[in-house]
Amino acid sequence: MAGVSNGVNKEELSMLQFWEVANRAINTGSLMRMKDFDMKIFKVTTRLVKEYGITFDPKIPIPSDNDLVDRLFEAGLKLYAEVGTYCIDTERVIRFSEEEIREALRELQAMPDEIDIGEGMERRRLFKRRVEDPRKPLVIGGVVEDSPREGRDFVQLYKSIAQERIIDGIYYGPPPASIEGKSWTIASPLDCHAARSAVSWMREAIRSVGRPGLHLLDACPSALGTISACFPENGLRKTDAVTLATVSEIKTNFELLNKVAYTLHYGCMRSPFWTSIVGGFGGGPEGSALVSIADALNAVMVYYVGGAGYVMVSSILQNPPINTARQTIWVRNVSLQSLARNTNLICGGGGLTSGGPGTEHQLWEIAALGLHTSVAGGHIIHGARKAKLVKPNQGTGMEPRWEGETARASAGLSRADVNELINFILTKYESKIAPEVAPEGFSFGELYDYEEVRVKPHYFELYLKVKNELARKGLKFD
Amino acid sequence: MGKSVAEELREAVLEFDEEKAAKAAQKWLESKSDPYRAITEVLTPAIQEMGERFERGEAFLPELIMATDAMNAAVKILEKEISKEQMERMKKGRLIIGTVKGDIHNIGKNIVSIMLMTAGYDVIDLGVDVEPSKFVEEAERSGSQMILASALMTFTALNMKKIVEYLEMEGLRKKYKIIFGGGPLTETWAKEMGADGYAPDALRAVELINRMMGS
Repeated sequence: MAGVSNGVNKEELSMLQFWEVANRAINTGSLMRMKDFDMKIFKVTTRLVKEYGITFDPKIPIPSDNDLVDRLFEAGLKLYAEVGTYCIDTERVIRFSEEEIREALRELQAMPDEIDIGEGMERRRLFKRRVEDPRKPLVIGGVVEDSPREGRDFVQLYKSIAQERIIDGIYYGPPPASIEGKSWTIASPLDCHAARSAVSWMREAIRSVGRPGLHLLDACPSALGTISACFPENGLRKTDAVTLATVSEIKTNFELLNKVAYTLHYGCMRSPFWTSIVGGFGGGPEGSALVSIADALNAVMVYYVGGAGYVMVSSILQNPPINTARQTIWVRNVSLQSLARNTNLICGGGGLTSGGPGTEHQLWEIAALGLHTSVAGGHIIHGARKAKLVKPNQGTGMEPRWEGETARASAGLSRADVNELINFILTKYESKIAPEVAPEGFSFGELYDYEEVRVKPHYFELYLKVKNELARKGLKFD
Repeated sequence: MGKSVAEELREAVLEFDEEKAAKAAQKWLESKSDPYRAITEVLTPAIQEMGERFERGEAFLPELIMATDAMNAAVKILEKEISKEQMERMKKGRLIIGTVKGDIHNIGKNIVSIMLMTAGYDVIDLGVDVEPSKFVEEAERSGSQMILASALMTFTALNMKKIVEYLEMEGLRKKYKIIFGGGPLTETWAKEMGADGYAPDALRAVELINRMMGS
């Protein structure tokens, strides 16, 4: 099971081909209104939460109850078998029988649980981690989403991440909001140009710090952008990956399906991610966790991630849309545990914070994300960033570095230990997560020497303060 | 009998029971009670109570939707006996809402839409991935006073500006108030793109629209 391979012996497998999945999306899936699909999720989820006795205890954001996380997986599987994936473009539901899903999971078990990412000196083996796994997680870190400015700003910012030795890969994107000074919209000629330029700037950033083979995880929103970014010379290579977002809840569209179709031919990795919403169509934290498992099964059945990539698990509050609230920490943590114990998926998490970079508030939030993701069997994927950016270039290399350090320090700890730490850390920021009180933070230029790409002393001292406080709590850093 | 039917109507909304709501509405009519009062004195306070529960985090979005569906089931029966003038008087105003072209995210938009309905507005929800021209055409067709557009991503938020440009092209800009909202937006950016107002979340959207509509 642990053999490293880019391919699988197809003759041995009977999993549905993607072209049949596409056929269900385009031609044969049942027609349904989106509202009816959403309401069906709520009704089925509400029933299954009761049937499987899934309960959220706010005092235990990191549960150690294996039976709970296994019940969660079964309930999530039943949910997915009952509702399927909704294709927004065709208003059809891509449904799979429970037997088809279980067969796909059996085949997943037969696939490699390790993949090689990056190349040359930067090649890393990304492996499936287990709950309380003592092996250190990898860090595919990034920061800002669509706010970095084009050109040199973009390169300097990503150099700050690439130069951190803890970084094993970089998540970047979507491309800058403007290209050649012009605003662009999705699936337009400027989208194509922005996507191709962004990946070239990424290559420049990693080359300039002497790490040309570093793995890249691209987050172009459109299939056009992804396809434009895939070219071996100076773009995405087969050792890189592209993200596939799942639209909340359990929905896809042609942009995403086109990305799957293209990458099946091109041969690079896929990295699906999803964000189940607490207070959304799954209901509360318990239902949201079920939806998260259904999203993972969507990644297996529709996005074909098995043996071909890795997933990022996320959960946000309906308002504010952050990953660091007590409920959303629980949802991601039990989801990761559930997937680590019941599937062969390589999993991880990043994080949306309420506070901005350069603040103690955000450093505590990032610590919570790193610690709980790692103990549940996750790697760091995407890195941490402020949920609502308020200025351009709002991120630096320190955030993924810190998330990686806390994640590595968490490896080998028990869930009970991490639960205690998380409850302590939550006291540092939990009462100030509302947008009107959370600190907005600073931009790259305010936190780093722009030319030298070096962290300014005041930010570094703040980081040391939080790190030392956690060390006094018994956390052992590398 | 009126009082107990009122209680049934209220319960139907709070229990999200469309069938019960329709039956209670029918009973209300059979009792010869004023249907206008059923809406203004029973159903509207019940749906507002649901809205308050949602704001406090005690109810979820789908429950709010189901409560609205239950209320609408009752209104559909009651309105047969209400004059058009009375129906129009009950509504605070008519609004168009949708997620802009290129963007398929609907949850935030749905929450704003439902919260506005519970606040007494007649909301026409155009769904997701809506062309700028459709916002304008539907606003014209329905006699709406305001256009609300949502986007979750920076590169789709730019399509909000096109709604303003389309209105200008048609010589209709002054006819409508325009509100933008969604994840990446700030008030400054919304105003730069030509909006009359910006709201960071559903609650503040309702407050803003109440102020702008003078209610």
